[in-house]
Order: sequence, then structure tokens, then C-alpha cells
Amino acid sequence: MSVLNIAEVTKTFSGGTNAVDRFSLDVAGGELVCLLGPSGSGKSTLLRMVGGFEQPTGGRITIDGEDVTHLPPERRPTGMVFQSHALWTHMNVFKNVAFGLRLRRMPAKQIREKVEAVLELVGLAGYGDRMTTQLSGGQQQRVALARSLVLEPKILLLDEPFASLDQHLRERLRDEVRDIQQRLGITTLFVTHGQDEALSMADRIVVIANGRAEQIGRPDAVYRDPKTPFVAGFIGLMNLIEGEVKNGHFIRSEFTTPLPIADGPATLAIRPEALDLTASNAPTARVHRVTDYGSHGLVDLDLADGTRLKSTVANLDLFQAGQGVGLLPRAVAAYRENQQIYRS
Amino acid sequence: MSEIVERAALPLAQTATSRRPIGLLLVAMPVLLVIWLVIWPAINAISRTVWRTDVNGNAGFDLSSYAFFFSDTYSLGNLAVTLWTTLVCAVLLLVISLPIALYLRFSRGRLPAYVQALAILPMFVPSIILAFAFIRVLGPNGMLDILLNALGLPKIRTPYLTPWGPVIGLVWDNTPLTVLILLSGLGGVANQAIEAARDVGANAIRVFWHIILPRISNSILVALSFSVLGIFSSFTLPYLLGPASPEMLGPFMQRTLRDVQDPIGAMTQAVVAFGFCILFGLFYVRSVARNRGNR
Repeated sequence: MSVLNIAEVTKTFSGGTNAVDRFSLDVAGGELVCLLGPSGSGKSTLLRMVGGFEQPTGGRITIDGEDVTHLPPERRPTGMVFQSHALWTHMNVFKNVAFGLRLRRMPAKQIREKVEAVLELVGLAGYGDRMTTQLSGGQQQRVALARSLVLEPKILLLDEPFASLDQHLRERLRDEVRDIQQRLGITTLFVTHGQDEALSMADRIVVIANGRAEQIGRPDAVYRDPKTPFVAGFIGLMNLIEGEVKNGHFIRSEFTTPLPIADGPATLAIRPEALDLTASNAPTARVHRVTDYGSHGLVDLDLADGTRLKSTVANLDLFQAGQGVGLLPRAVAAYRENQQIYRS
Repeated sequence: MSEIVERAALPLAQTATSRRPIGLLLVAMPVLLVIWLVIWPAINAISRTVWRTDVNGNAGFDLSSYAFFFSDTYSLGNLAVTLWTTLVCAVLLLVISLPIALYLRFSRGRLPAYVQALAILPMFVPSIILAFAFIRVLGPNGMLDILLNALGLPKIRTPYLTPWGPVIGLVWDNTPLTVLILLSGLGGVANQAIEAARDVGANAIRVFWHIILPRISNSILVALSFSVLGIFSSFTLPYLLGPASPEMLGPFMQRTLRDVQDPIGAMTQAVVAFGFCILFGLFYVRSVARNRGNR
């Protein structure tokens, strides 16, 4: 059952820029959907339209079947967590969380119970009397989350909530947020430009570019089977090689590999972990650099025309800069006219 | 190790010592000016009004000028009209300037730029020009009366030479500074703080009352303090637009000194005005300190 329905939503800013272009999405109850895309792709604008902070130029947004397209934020059943926390520094933690409940004229005793419960949920029990300026960045973000959760919104909107936090804290908080989201079963729309966040948290990922959905799917599907060259290049490391297909073979410089598609130009996509390196008397690439990442090694390779490729290897000692190697792709995808036309 | 640190620290310490006289010299000029133009005249006025020589040539402690001021109905009437004008101006300035500042802060496009230019325009109009423009427009048989007459309507009761004359002039004169100070305070209110309030259900009035107002309370205090201090001791506009009796302390002092030729009386009025200004200042400092303490 769809809780959030976004139908053909468009946002055109003054000057004619299409920030969001005929975007459609259905989000089921309890689902966490990540809007993933580079800066300026329109993902935050889309989230702000769901929250009511921007008015769509066209299209329709419904929540639980109710058309909220033109409702102001204060009348929508959504709760937003902002990137900058947006806490009210003249109020303490308790007052920040209780503000929405007070506006709803809830009895003081009930407010106290609800605020204390939600502060415990986000790991801030006993912090009610603290001023928000006395808290760390992570604690401030928990207060912002508590402030939204206490109102029990139908949809939780997270606008890059971990962007201002350090890597370690970000990883810890995203696990906690995912735990809370699953425990409460709250439908969540999460904007991020961090693919790690999207891949680790989301039930589904929507990859956005130029205001349009490039691909919508489960994280593993988006990673393993990117439907467009943009998605292939944006999610994870990917070798994208422009070349020609002739007689069932893809050709770029000295590198050739079987590709059973019609002749013509094509873009070949190979994940570094799917590109094996072999010893060869007639090498097709040379090792440019070898980088040790601890758990694995990454070899940068140059084709004869300077095209740079990457290959993940288990044993770094076998490779050194300047060494000639053969390339053996284990899995490839091919794209033509921005569409996937082949996948092995 | 410590030797290296000491050696490294030595030139820095020397530089700091050599810079100190320059810093002190830079500060000295304004401090000397304040001492010369404000503190010394204030001390002089206070001492001359409380340590006086009687007709027999005996000098002694004497509060008779203050006793006269606070028992004289005319002086008290002037003090009352000064306080009334200051209070009414402060309220009107807040009522007029805050909506303008809010509009300028939260509006986008070209129109707010024109509104801002209009709001700041009075800053560039000298008080004396403003006073004569006021007389020509709102005075008896002024432009407004002529227009009303042309429309067959009765004349207005002109505010010229009534207590409302200085109020209108002073509000006009102080609006730009008040708007600019409030606008600067509103600049510190993040859009996302407002959006977060709307997100939890606050309408525009509640956002203003619960989020914006507490965040700009210091700016309001600064704006009101500046305008109150200026209005309380203003001279030109009350002199040109206000009634002859009761009159504000500025013209009252001038008349006591020049027309009545009573320098001790004028100085007493100045000390009383100074005392009220100090009270306003103390109230401002206390409020700012309390606000900071609450954060």
C-alpha cells in the first residue's frame, strides 16, 4: 500500500531551470527510500516539495490518498530533519522537542511523557535541560530527529542529515537512524549524495540526475545492474570505456573483448572487481599505480591511448608500476544511446 | 626543548611589546575625546549644580536647583512630555520598523530593494529640511490642507506645534537606523530554523512569536536604546515642530540658558536628562546580559 505518491511532479525555477522534471515515485508504508544524486540534481528540491517548503510547478503529491500538493508545511503529516539541524538555540532540548506538541495544545503531563520517551529512543535521556549549543553535532542531530519523531509523522523526511558530521559519527548515526526507522516502521524519504549511506540504509534507491529518476530499485540491483551509464558511473567504482563494436567484439585501443551486439559505438561498463589482470606476452594495458587499501588492492591501468581503468586485486605483490598486463573482464554491461543494451 | 621554545617565543613577545604603544595610542584619541566632550562636562555640570556659592560667597553642598526642578510644575511637565514623546516614538518605531524589516528579510525579488532604499531615505534628509517639509505639508494651510480644500473636505487638525509634531518628525528621522539594526538581527535567524518551526506545525504568527522574536530580542533592545537615547535628548525637531509649552528637555535647556540666562538651571536639566539616559543604558546592559545568560 503506497503511503506517498509523487505523480509527474515538476519544479521550474524563475529563469526556466527545471530542478525537477516530471518525477514520479510511489513509497510504500514503512519503506526507507533514498534519493541519491550529485549536487544540483534536484533531490533536495523534491524532498522540500514533499515537505511543503517548495510548491511544484506541475504534478501532484498525495500522502495516504490525501492531496497535499498545495498544503503548507504546518498542515502536512510530514516531519523534516534538516542538514544543519535547525535547532532553536534559545530553547533547551526539552523545549525544542516539545514545541510541536505545545502547538497542538497537548496536556503538559502528556508532553513530558512523550518527550522523555522520544529522547530515550534517540539516546538522549536526561539531556532535556541542556541548551542545544552545549551538545555535540551528533547529539544536535539526534535532537532534530527527536523533534520530528515526537509528532509521529506519516512520513519522515531526512535532508542529508549526516552531511555535517565526521565519518565515524556518520556511520554510527546512520545505523541508529535505520534501527529507529525499522522499529517505528515509519515511511522515510532520505536525501543523500553519499552512495555508502544509500546502499547501507535504503530499501530502495532512486538515482536522480537533472531532476529525473535515472533508476529506481533495490540497492543491490542498482549496484549490480545499472540501467544507464550515469548510474553506472555514479554508484560505486566503475570503468566506463567508450569504444566501437565490430563483428561481435568491443574495441578500444589495444583492448578487445567479445560483445554480442550490433556493430556501432558503445559504452562498456566493467566493475574493478570484475576486471581480472593476466600475464600476457602481448599486454593490452600497463600498470600505472598500485594502491593498498588494506582489505584489497587497487591497480590503476592505462590503455595505449591513455584511457585509465581500475582493477581490484587480492595480491598486490604481483603488480608494479610500468608492468604490462592482459585484461580479462568477467562481467560487463554495454550502453548505447543512454540505454543498457547488453549485460553478461 | 624548553630553551628552543623560549627562544622561539622571545621575538613574539618582543613584537607584542613593541605593538602595545601603537594600540594604546589608537585607543587614546577616542578616549580623550570622550573624556573631554562627555565625561568632563558631565562631572563639571554635576559638581556645579551640587556645590554652589551663595550670595555671601560661601561655597557648600546645595541641592536647591534639583529641589526646584522636581517641585516646579512647569519643569515636571517638560520632563513628562519628554518621557511621553520618547515612549510613544519608541512604540511607533517598533510598530513601523519591525514589519518593514521582516518584509525586507523574508522577501525576494527587486521590490524589497526599492522598499529598503525608501526606508533608508530619511537617513539622508537633514532634520531641518525634514522639519520645514513637515510644516509645508502638514502645517496650517499646508499641502494637505490645500488638497483637502480642493476636494471640498474640511481641514485637518494639524499636528504642527502639538506634542505629535515632534513625534512624527522623530519617528521619521529614526526609522532608517531602527530598520537597519532590526534587519541585521533578522539576518541571524536561519531560514531552516523557521522552516523547522513550520514543519512542526507553527503558523506565521507563532513562528514570529516563538522563533523570530526571541532571536532578535537583543537587536530590538539595541535599536530601541539607540533611538530612545537620541529622542530623549533631541533638540532640532522638538524645537521646530513642538509646542512652546510644555516642551521637551532639549529646547527647555536651550531656553533656560539663552532666554532665562540661568546656567545652573540649564545644567540641572542636563544632569536630569543625563540621569535618565544612564537609566535607559543600564536597562539595556542588564537586558542584554540576561539574554546572553539565558543562552
